[in-house]
Amino acid sequence: MLNCKQASQLASRAMDEKLSFWENMSLKLHLFLCRACTQFTQQLVFLRKVSRHSQINSVSELSEAAKQRILQSLEDKPTP
Amino acid sequence: MTADNKDLRIQTWLEEHGNYLFSYALLSVKDTHLAEDMVQETLLAAMTAKNTFANQSSVRTWLTGILKHKLIDNFRRRKREVVMGDLVDQSKADQLEDFFRINGSWIDRPTAFPNPDSALQQKAFWKIFQQCSSRLKPQQAAVFLAKEIHGMSTEEICKEFTLNPTNVWILMHRARLSLSHCLKNNWID
Repeated sequence: MLNCKQASQLASRAMDEKLSFWENMSLKLHLFLCRACTQFTQQLVFLRKVSRHSQINSVSELSEAAKQRILQSLEDKPTP
Repeated sequence: MTADNKDLRIQTWLEEHGNYLFSYALLSVKDTHLAEDMVQETLLAAMTAKNTFANQSSVRTWLTGILKHKLIDNFRRRKREVVMGDLVDQSKADQLEDFFRINGSWIDRPTAFPNPDSALQQKAFWKIFQQCSSRLKPQQAAVFLAKEIHGMSTEEICKEFTLNPTNVWILMHRARLSLSHCLKNNWID
């Protein structure tokens, strides 16, 4: 029988690849009996959703100074 | 193309997509100046390679694609530092003593995030997520971002960072534990 540490390792690996038949069975059994690890697997799914969400990229703003600096440096480059 | 045209195009790109690219870069590089440099390099590359722009994709998708390459190049340059950090971490990797007791039970049992879907609509949530990912150890952050944000396969990551698959699983597991824990403790009301 897996403990929670082992189950969480398998649950994380299962996000990235297919587990072997026995790994999968023992994870399923553990999750059936363990509420905390079931919550953890739901958090893994949420983390993936968050990471792949387009909103992720609109949090920070370039300062005006940085914009000016970027424009300036690009203007200095010769036109290709 | 005239000089005026060129300036106009760069300025439009910067206005419309600058903040997006900057925020994207900040997920991978912690340093603001480095992230600004990445945006600059991306726009420069876009300017010189605008023939590669296929009209079927949006300008933002195209620019983001260029930025991803820039960020992966940056990973490559930092590879040595990342791998060194990993060696230090490996000795303790199997203990996970911040999260589990000796018998393998949770120290702090995971609980459901309240209203996860509505959190995604809130700017405050994204701030917290960015802060939580910036607290990851460098090697965890590099592998997590490569996999989840850049969509690289385990195989590609192994090659890129000179890791074996077990290292990648360990780092992903740690990164996920840390992120879940951090999100839970800082969850928006």
